Amino acid sequence: MDSELLHMALIALAVLGCIGLLFGIGLAMAAQKFAVKVNPKVEEVLEALAGAQ
Amino acid sequence: MKPIRSYIVAALCLLVLLLLVCGCGSEHRFIKGTSFKGENQIVITFAGPVDAGWAKSTGNYKVYEKPDPDINLSISSIDLSPDGTTVTLTFGLPLNQAQTHIVTVKEIMAEGKTQGTAVMTVKKVYFGYLLSILLGAMIIKNFVFTKYLGLCVFFGTSQKKSTAVGMGITFTLVMVASAMMSWFMYQFILKPMRLDFLQIVIFIGLVSLSVQAVDTVLRKVNPALFKAFGVYLVLVIANCIILAVPLLLANNEYNAAESFMLALGAGVGFLIALFLMSAVRERLEVADVPQTYKGLPIAFITAGLFALAFMGFSGMSIF
Repeated sequence: MDSELLHMALIALAVLGCIGLLFGIGLAMAAQKFAVKVNPKVEEVLEALAGAQ
Repeated sequence: MKPIRSYIVAALCLLVLLLLVCGCGSEHRFIKGTSFKGENQIVITFAGPVDAGWAKSTGNYKVYEKPDPDINLSISSIDLSPDGTTVTLTFGLPLNQAQTHIVTVKEIMAEGKTQGTAVMTVKKVYFGYLLSILLGAMIIKNFVFTKYLGLCVFFGTSQKKSTAVGMGITFTLVMVASAMMSWFMYQFILKPMRLDFLQIVIFIGLVSLSVQAVDTVLRKVNPALFKAFGVYLVLVIANCIILAVPLLLANNEYNAAESFMLALGAGVGFLIALFLMSAVRERLEVADVPQTYKGLPIAFITAGLFALAFMGFSGMSIF
């Protein structure tokens, strides 16, 4: 394998990984700040239904 | 107390915009300005008189359109004004003034001394240019009616005026946010690191990020509107317009202000399209439409008629 290509791929991986991590943490914090309480029964009912559509 | 605070915020926003616009031109200390003149001329104004021998030589100027740096435009003649401060370059062919031109002036000679090389950008009047981008994306090249992009969300949410307007506004917000993020990412991260072959993947990621953010915030802030959007808010991720705009920005090498205007124009254009369509479809609900055409078929025909009407704007240019 060409070492230059490998180098490029590694840079891409590192950069995209960092960006993804940063935005992921941001979204997680936003989700916590704007959390909405959902009635747990809603999920239970959905689970119990057939759920084809 | 409150109005004062909003004035301050508005003033700050204006300041930021002004800085964005002013920071766009690259100036050289010995060149006062460059501008288009007539169909095939570019005028360069110097701060002082330049040497006639230097100014008359075609080899000292290099002019090309910004997207094509390889193609130099051929200069047919050069005129120097009597006081020696204004040079008029005349080209053999008419210039495409919708494009930004780059003028390189080599080793400016003034009164026997060299003033260095200047690289200048020539554009049409700037605010007019921004406005033409805005109106172009909004009406003349409306993404829905002339490029047929984003039709899924367009037909899905245009049944009621209230939903249509809500969707249009959310779409505009998501569009501006994701386009500005994409512009920043492309100019400052992807291009310097030569990762621009990954642009589509990254733009999709940024779009889904902003949609997710709007989803999270809207769920808490305005549950009624959130319910009205239903599945369509998530469908914005798969909307082609919202991906087309960052790609256009990257291709055309727009700067921050131009990107903002294109994103805003695309968003508001979509809002206009949705509003027009929902106004017609509300009437169609009570109209006597043949059974086979009820619902989506007549909606498609209406969209086609709108597209025909919008064709009337095609080829128009402002400023």
